[in-house]
Amino acid sequence: MMEKIAKLIEQAQSDIAASNTLAQINAVKVKYLGKSGELTQLLRGMKDLAPEDRPAAGKFVNQARDEITELTDKKSKELAQAETDEKMLKESIDITLDGNAVERGSLHPCTLVANEIVEIFTSMGFSIAQGPEIELDKFCFQMLNIPPDHPARDMQDTFYITDEALLRTHTSSVQARAMLKSKPPIRIVCPGKVYRPDDDATHSPMFQQIEGLVVDEKVTLCDLKGLLETFAQKLFDQKTKVRFRPSFFPFTEPSVEVDVTCSVCHGKGCRICKGTGWIEILGAGIVNPKVLENCGIDSKKYKGLAFGLGIERTTMIKYGIPDMRILFENDVRFLKEFK
Amino acid sequence: MKVSLSWLKDFVDIDVTVEELADKLVGAGFEVEEIIRAGADMKNVVLGKIVKLEKHPDADKLQICQIDVGKAACVQIVTGAQNVSEGDLVPVALDNSLLPTGQEIKKGKLRGVLSEGMLCSGEELKLTEEDYQGAGVYGILLMNKEEFPLGTDINVVLGNDDVVLDIGVTANRSDCNSVLGIAREVATILKKPLKMPDISFAVDKSAKVEDVIDVDVQSPDLCPRYMAAAVKDVKIQPSAEIIQKRLKSVGLRPINNIVDITNYVLIEIGQPMHAFDREFIQGKIIPRRAKHGEKIVALDEKEYTLDDTMLVIADECKPCAIGGVMGGLNSGINTNTETIVFESAKFLRDNIRRTSRKLNLRSDSSFRYERGIDLDSQRLGLMRALNLIDKYGYGKIADGIIDRLAQELKESVVVTSVEEINAILGIDVPDKEILQILNSLQIKSELKDGTLTCISPAFRDDIENANDLAEEVIRLYGYDKVVSTLLDGGNQTLGGKTREQRNNDIIKEICVNQGMSEILTYSFTTPKLFDTLRIDSSDSRRNCIKLLKPLGEDLSVMRTTLAYSMISTLASNNLKSNKKARLFEIANVYMPRGDIEEQLPEEVGMLALGVYGSGEDFYSIKGIVENILKKFAIDAQNVRAQSNYLHKGRSADIKVGNVTIGYLGELHPDVLQAFDVSDRMYIAELNIDLLNKYADYSYNFKAISNYPPIERDIAVVVDEDVAAGDLLACVRKGGGSLLVDASIFDIYRNETIIGAKKKSIAINLVFRLADRTLTDDEVNSKINRILTKLSSEYSAILR
Repeated sequence: MMEKIAKLIEQAQSDIAASNTLAQINAVKVKYLGKSGELTQLLRGMKDLAPEDRPAAGKFVNQARDEITELTDKKSKELAQAETDEKMLKESIDITLDGNAVERGSLHPCTLVANEIVEIFTSMGFSIAQGPEIELDKFCFQMLNIPPDHPARDMQDTFYITDEALLRTHTSSVQARAMLKSKPPIRIVCPGKVYRPDDDATHSPMFQQIEGLVVDEKVTLCDLKGLLETFAQKLFDQKTKVRFRPSFFPFTEPSVEVDVTCSVCHGKGCRICKGTGWIEILGAGIVNPKVLENCGIDSKKYKGLAFGLGIERTTMIKYGIPDMRILFENDVRFLKEFK
Repeated sequence: MKVSLSWLKDFVDIDVTVEELADKLVGAGFEVEEIIRAGADMKNVVLGKIVKLEKHPDADKLQICQIDVGKAACVQIVTGAQNVSEGDLVPVALDNSLLPTGQEIKKGKLRGVLSEGMLCSGEELKLTEEDYQGAGVYGILLMNKEEFPLGTDINVVLGNDDVVLDIGVTANRSDCNSVLGIAREVATILKKPLKMPDISFAVDKSAKVEDVIDVDVQSPDLCPRYMAAAVKDVKIQPSAEIIQKRLKSVGLRPINNIVDITNYVLIEIGQPMHAFDREFIQGKIIPRRAKHGEKIVALDEKEYTLDDTMLVIADECKPCAIGGVMGGLNSGINTNTETIVFESAKFLRDNIRRTSRKLNLRSDSSFRYERGIDLDSQRLGLMRALNLIDKYGYGKIADGIIDRLAQELKESVVVTSVEEINAILGIDVPDKEILQILNSLQIKSELKDGTLTCISPAFRDDIENANDLAEEVIRLYGYDKVVSTLLDGGNQTLGGKTREQRNNDIIKEICVNQGMSEILTYSFTTPKLFDTLRIDSSDSRRNCIKLLKPLGEDLSVMRTTLAYSMISTLASNNLKSNKKARLFEIANVYMPRGDIEEQLPEEVGMLALGVYGSGEDFYSIKGIVENILKKFAIDAQNVRAQSNYLHKGRSADIKVGNVTIGYLGELHPDVLQAFDVSDRMYIAELNIDLLNKYADYSYNFKAISNYPPIERDIAVVVDEDVAAGDLLACVRKGGGSLLVDASIFDIYRNETIIGAKKKSIAINLVFRLADRTLTDDEVNSKINRILTKLSSEYSAILR
């Protein structure tokens, strides 16, 4: 009996090894474990044994069945796996072909830069103020300490609609409206379109500015520097430094032009910064107390700081665009560069 | 403002290089736009003496010269010129030299003989007879400059070696539109004393100014000060060389000694001057308002018609000058002038600006008056002019000066404190430094018991408050000393965007996700667009804001629609062979609301969409619009549009109730043709302000059903002109709340099977309940109801 079982196992092992398909292994299963399988036959033959031999023989047969079952199951799994693998291999595709996604469009580079700037300031507690593009002389000039026939009017040529109505030449007009409307503390940025009659490689008759204004009890020139340094470091990179140069704007006193270290050469001097290591990016200053008073704010109690920058110019610096007119051509090939 | 270094040095010792000086000026608020070195275009041309001259052995017209250029050996030069002889002093362009004509000279052989350079003519040095006597002669320039050693650079010999700084003077510093003004700043920066110009002169006691001229200021409001002096026995001649040279260095053309002196004083002191020929003044000089329509021919030989807002300097019969702007041709200096009257006046800043703009006439003089001239500089200017007359012996100065002063000379005082100045700056500048800086700027400053009292000189009328003083302090103390702080003393603010501001971002994001690129176009446009787009004459968009002086006709009105710029942009991309484009723009349009000064135009936020290219059709742009409307939960209907620039059969107005919030559609073939485009194009415009108004943010959660749906498909045949959207609305009504979804999945046309002018519409219906499973009977009864409704309303027949 024992011999028979051992032989049977040996035989089953070789049958399993010889099976190459799921059908063959199933046939092996039936051959040994099926109702009329060889192992089942052996079990039936147990009744011919002496009763005292039966338990040992039974144990032996059961062990043999477990062993054969385990072997066939293992083989089945292997063969099923191989079959799936082969099927998938047949379904193999070219994975380098383009995906099926809807092609993404693009924001205008000026919007990307404006968004970035607005984001930097809103994260510092600034809100966004907006005002009309068609503006009154009063808000665009007079309240900002630029009376009629003042020489400072020469600083910006203006598109007039009537003697009093004009296209705003700067977003500073929003300052005046904001101060009239709300009480300090004020922290606003005012992005928007502005207009001046210039048209060449570095000027467009319509362009965008962002004006910033802080009015509070304690505001200093040092705060202005810190604010603009933080801004420049976020917009360009962490190593960016800021430099003030004295200048003149009627609505700020002191007034400064603000240079940042060239983001290309980091101050060593290159073609972009014309060898100086610095790039002028904005004008700023301490709000002239006359402007605060014009706008109904007590200049004894409050001080202000203000800054303004051109979005197009900043965009040109940030992306190395040589001619402002490219920004207004709207060639879809150019637009799609900015994802 | 151009200033020559040698001129500056008359007033202040400059012991730094030009570059250092330029840096320091920039640091103090004076942008140096350019450093112009005279003679930079001529190199290696020196003074030489011809020591030997012989004929060229192989050429009749050439001569071989041996020239002493101050070195051990002579240089040999072959020349074709015939006007040279031994002993002549000539300009010699040596080997590797550069001429102002751009010509480079190198040594070479002429007919076999070595020539180590070239002898130069006046023309080759770009000199005219005016620059150098003899320069106009044909041939080599013969020079008479024995005082210079041989080998001296010709630039030095010609006095062409000055350096000119072109300085940007800001509008608040009118006092610096002069050599003296800049010198004053340089003196402060370099901590050197300022030497004032020489204003001494001798007078001819026998002649009294009163006997020569009288002045009667009739409009003191426009002319607060008028000073005059007279010079007799004037000999009109070219100016002294140094005056000519300096005027030329700053770009002014020398004319004659008297006119040159007025210009010299203008540049040096900043005070505009005028010289009248006494002979042509009848009676008194009368500064008065012009009569309306009064005419004058100015020195530019053009006639100007004046009005009573303008100031003229008249005599008893006629206007002789447009005050502060330009002299009259009738009383100007000419070669026969014998007696002159110098005018040195202060005219009102704003009035000169207005006059100059009205007449469209600008001059160096009007420029300075527009910037502002202080009440002190008339005397200085006049005295300096007389000093120059005396110094060069151009005439006899009559005794006395006429001074008609209508305004009080007032001191301007600012009272503040060191603490206030430092509170503006944010750093602690020591008391001593503040006092030193202000006083060095001639702002008399005193600190007593914490009070800082500052008295500004007349030329600093820009100093009005503590902020002005703070600026003076920091620009000289150094902006590099400003440290960075971050609003340390600031109060808390909330910040962030409003919902409407965020909505703009959201719309842009939806557009970008739909493959659209954002464009940026001008707010001003052409008034022709309304005809190009065939917009109705009654359309409110035709009423637009016009600019008074636009850059051109096609940028002359403020747009009332974004359609035109969108179509233009699509067309320009198409013309550049870009096969497809999906574009959008968010911008304002400007709708007038009556009198613009009473009420500014309404600025309405608009979204424009535009697409073309293969695969694009009416439905692709409609899909984008629907996605946006869905985001804001706006329930809008599309009705056929009546727009003349859209395709009649493929366009729709987008309506919320009765309000049109936008439109979309294919462009009219004629419009496409007007833009020279053959591809079909699709645009849409949405009013964002209305979008914000109708946006519904109040969404409440609805539980989803856990019970299975029952799906059924039906197909009905209807007339061709039945709109699928209407049919679907009818289906939804019939289905009631059980019908959770209905969508069209096929439209089929076939004359033989379906019939002519008919279509079969296949609709997928989904029924579902939230609280239990539906029965077939329930669904069937709903479908019957739907079919009955479709049949009665659209004569629909079930296929």
